Amino acid sequence: KLGHPSELPPEPVPDYEGDEEFLRRVHHVLLEVEVLEGALRCPDSGRRFPISRGVPNMLLTEDEP
Amino acid sequence: EEAPPHRPALVKMSAAEPVWFFCTAGRGLEPFLAREVRARLGATEVDCVSGKVFFRAAAGPGELRKLRSGERLFLLLKKHSPLPVSGNKGKMLHEIKSFVVEEPKYWLAIISVWKKFHGRKRKTGDVSRENVLALKRKSEETNTASKRQKMEQVRAIVSEECQVEAGETSVAPERMSGQESWTESKTSSEFPSKGTGDNPTANEKFSFSFRVSCRCSGALAKILTSQEIGRAIGIALVKQCGWHADLRDPDLEIFVHLNDIHSVVGIPLFRLPLANREYIKTAGLRSTVAWAMASLAEISAGALVLDPMCGLGTILLEAAKEWPEACYWGADISDSQLEGADGNIRTAGLVDKIELLKASVKALPLPSESFDSVISDIPFGKKFKITNDAQLLPDILQEMERVLRVGGTLVLLLSQDLRRHVDGLTRCAGGDSAEAAADGDSEAAPAQAPDVGGNSSSSARRVGESVLSRHFGSLVPEGVYAVSLGKTDAFIHKYRKVLAAGNW
Repeated sequence: KLGHPSELPPEPVPDYEGDEEFLRRVHHVLLEVEVLEGALRCPDSGRRFPISRGVPNMLLTEDEP
Repeated sequence: EEAPPHRPALVKMSAAEPVWFFCTAGRGLEPFLAREVRARLGATEVDCVSGKVFFRAAAGPGELRKLRSGERLFLLLKKHSPLPVSGNKGKMLHEIKSFVVEEPKYWLAIISVWKKFHGRKRKTGDVSRENVLALKRKSEETNTASKRQKMEQVRAIVSEECQVEAGETSVAPERMSGQESWTESKTSSEFPSKGTGDNPTANEKFSFSFRVSCRCSGALAKILTSQEIGRAIGIALVKQCGWHADLRDPDLEIFVHLNDIHSVVGIPLFRLPLANREYIKTAGLRSTVAWAMASLAEISAGALVLDPMCGLGTILLEAAKEWPEACYWGADISDSQLEGADGNIRTAGLVDKIELLKASVKALPLPSESFDSVISDIPFGKKFKITNDAQLLPDILQEMERVLRVGGTLVLLLSQDLRRHVDGLTRCAGGDSAEAAADGDSEAAPAQAPDVGGNSSSSARRVGESVLSRHFGSLVPEGVYAVSLGKTDAFIHKYRKVLAAGNW
């Protein structure tokens, strides 16, 4: 979820390896987009790691394992 | 600034032949520099002594400027064995002058080589007047300076000069120019009258300006001071060649270094030391040491390299500039440091090569065995905000080891104190007889402080059995290198992660 007009489908389509348009968009999102302000979300715990000026803050607080 | 690659020729040598240079280096970095000149410039006849590396190479200024582990680079003019020292000052000065001063045509040849090297264009006509005015102002200024101030400068320089160690740091040249202003203004005060009267265009060829930077140590320093020597050489050059001294912006700087090992005369090739990187905005760790550390990490194309206590990012910047086909990650807990690193990365144009994280080295948010190299300068003493560095070291090392893949390299910079803690950990760890013997080994052969008096041609020094092998099972030491950080000394430790042999 980038809030960016990249129009990626929620899941990769079948045979995505051959779908050039899709590959272009994925490449763009992975390698050409730099998130300056936002957050990373852990898929397991849901814990948010804020990104500020391009740098994600991955520090855990005292009570977190 | 970059002139097209040119092969300068000295006097009788043909254009195709390589030329002699020498480059100063911080103590402990000489072997790195020797290796670098061979690899980068194809240098031959490389000779390392304490604080300097001499070599022959056919390389242009663009390539020479890229040297990363040296301090200042010079064109070598003369190198002889030490001048015989007698108690007679006058005789000594005469000897020195005979050694340094040559006929004008020798210097003109040198100058034309040097100029071609730089492709530098001097302004016409105004030069002599400009310099003359500058000199007049300078001599007025220094004459009003207090005698005590002068004496302090002298004492400071002389005491540094007279140290037994011949090693050089980049601090000295700056001090030298301060000292030279005191010396040269005296000689130049005679010359304004000559300059103003003459026809400016006729003067162009002859109104060359120079500065002598002299450094002497060892037996010679007991008889003469650097400034006495510098002044004598300066006066002789003025008489011989009709030049005038200019302290701020001379056309030519002549560097004379006399000690117990050799007598050397050279011309610095660049205005700024090599250690000044135009791509680094805010300096942290000394760039030469950072580069040396990265050079030990064996970074290959496609490698993932991590500095988990990156600070201002100096190590990552040096590594990414030299080995751009790798991915670099930096982590730090401090916002201000990360901001500085970010600024540095943007200034250097390395935004797509270096990724930053705000994270703690004790709990890295990175998968195990995901990096090919971990390189870090472990902050010492007061920089660490938490109390006991020694207690943290095992946690830090554990995380570093975890994220490193098998076969990967770990390169650390440790202070003298941290090394002792590491040795202390060695003693605490209990163990079987094999380990006890290894303990004995490591205690019997602790790494020495840098060998400052003699040659430092051997680089790696083993430190017996590493504490890390005991605690972490898989880190094998592959060398220790003592280096100078200016005011303090530090040690670069290299380790390789191997498959852990036994249990934990």
